[in-house]
Amino acid sequence: MEMTDVINKDISVERTGVELRKLHFNNDLCAACGLCEKVCPVTAIEVNPTGAMVRTEQESSNIDIDSSECALCGMCSCICPYNALNFDIDGESIKESDLYPRLIKSSEIDEETCIYCKNCELACPPKAITIARELPVRSKLVTGEIEIDKDTCVNCGICEEMCPADAITLAYKNPTSIDPTISSGIDVNKDSCVYCLVCKKACPVDAIKAVCRTCSYGDYDLNSEDFGTKGKTFINQETCVDCGWCEDICPVDAIKVEKPFEGTLEISGETCQGCETCIMACPCNVLSFPQPEKSGGKVEKIHKDEKYCIYCGACEKACPVNAIDVVRTKINCTPIKSKAWQKAFDNVLN
Amino acid sequence: MPKHIISGLKYLAAVELRKNGYNQNQIAEILDMNRSTVSHYLNGRNISVNSVEVAEVIRDFCRKDFLTMVYTLLKDVNQTRTIVKICSNTSYKSNIGNSCIACGICSDACMMNAVVLDDLKAKINDEFCCGCLICGEMCPTNSITITEVK
Repeated sequence: MEMTDVINKDISVERTGVELRKLHFNNDLCAACGLCEKVCPVTAIEVNPTGAMVRTEQESSNIDIDSSECALCGMCSCICPYNALNFDIDGESIKESDLYPRLIKSSEIDEETCIYCKNCELACPPKAITIARELPVRSKLVTGEIEIDKDTCVNCGICEEMCPADAITLAYKNPTSIDPTISSGIDVNKDSCVYCLVCKKACPVDAIKAVCRTCSYGDYDLNSEDFGTKGKTFINQETCVDCGWCEDICPVDAIKVEKPFEGTLEISGETCQGCETCIMACPCNVLSFPQPEKSGGKVEKIHKDEKYCIYCGACEKACPVNAIDVVRTKINCTPIKSKAWQKAFDNVLN
Repeated sequence: MPKHIISGLKYLAAVELRKNGYNQNQIAEILDMNRSTVSHYLNGRNISVNSVEVAEVIRDFCRKDFLTMVYTLLKDVNQTRTIVKICSNTSYKSNIGNSCIACGICSDACMMNAVVLDDLKAKINDEFCCGCLICGEMCPTNSITITEVK
C-alpha cells in the first residue's frame, strides 16, 4: 500500500494589536456549506467547489481565507454550525462571550431516562456519541439453578455437549483399577448457566434436578436493582452536528436537540440527475437513494427527511445541476448587539 | 540631524506647555527631558533656529504626515503621542457608522490609543484623536468619519 503524507488543510489567521485575535479553521469539521462565505463582510472567504471535493481526494481545503482581506471580526465563527471556525480574542473563544451572538444549538442526553440501548450511537452521522454501558451480572438475573445428582449421573457428557452456554464441564480421566470411572466429577458453572433446562430434558438417566427460584421462594430473592443496565453517555460537542438523528431514534425520548436554523429543503425531481453528490455532502444524513420494492420499479430520485436537516445548505452548494433549494427562514441565536452583525446574519436568510 | 529635529519638536512642545501654565519641572517630566534643558529651551538657548524652523514645517504637515514623521524620528509610541497631542490645536469629531463590524483594525492602528471596541462597535475618544485618519483608511467597511471642528 502506498503511503501518502497527511496534508494539513487547516487555516489560521491572526493579528496582534490591542488584542491577539486568532481565527482557526478546522477542515475536518467543515461541510463546505458556504455560510461563512455568505456572512463574511469583507468577502475574504471562498468555498472551493464542493461537488468535486466530496467525490475525489482533494488536496485543498474546503475553504480559502484571504488573510490580506480578513478583518478578523469573528462573524464566520459565529455562524458556522459545525464548529469548523473558531475565533479567539486573547486566547478566549468568543463563543464564551455574551458580546457575540451564539447559535442556539445543542444535543443532550438525559441519563436518568436513557436505557443505554446504543441506537443513537449507531445512528449518529458524525459518530459523535459514545455510550459506555455496564450490563447486569447475568447469574443474578437467572430464575433458577440446576443440580446434578452424582450418584445417578453416568458421565455420558450429553448435557455438556448440549449446553448452549457451555456451563457444564465433565472432568474426564483414564479409568484405573483403583478408580474405575471415566470422570472425576461434573461441574456446573452457575455464572454461565441460564437455566434453560436443555440439560435436564436431554439427560438419559434423569440425573439433573432443576430448582426454580421463582417457584420455590417467590419473587423476593430477585432484586430488581440487579437487573438494570447502568452506563455513561457522551456527546462530542465539537463533532456533533445537532441533526436530531439521536433524538428521533431514541426509543425512550431521552435526547433533546436544538437546531441552529429553521427553513425548508426542496429537491427538484425533474432536474436531479441522481449523481449522489448531495448525499455525500450532507453531514446530517438527510438524503438517501430510495430502493424500489421490486426490481425495475419506479421511485423518487432522492429521498429526504427534513427532520434531520439543519438547513446548512451544503447539499445545495454541492449540487452540480442546481436541483436543490435550501431556504433558511430563521437563525436561532442569542441577541445580536450590532447592526452590521445583524445585517450580515440576515444575509444567510432568504 | 534627526536629533536636532527632535529637539526642535520638544522646544515647540515646551513652549506650548508653558503657554498653558505648566512650570519647568512639569514640562521636563511630560517631555522626558531634564529640567535645565527645558529652562535653556524656554530662554532660547542651546537650540538652533533651523531646528525650530524644520520642526515648525513638520508640525504644519497634514496630520497623518505629522504623526508618522514624529514617530519615525522618536521611534516611541508614547513619546510620539505626547508631542503630537501638545502640538495640535485642532479638535476632531468622529462618527462610527452602523456598518462597523468590530474587527478592531482601527484600535490596533490608532497610535493615539483613541479607539476602543464597545458592544461590538468601535468608539473613538475625540479627546485623544489627532485627526490622522489612519483608522478610516484601514477600516474594511469604511465606517469611520472624522471631521475637523473649527
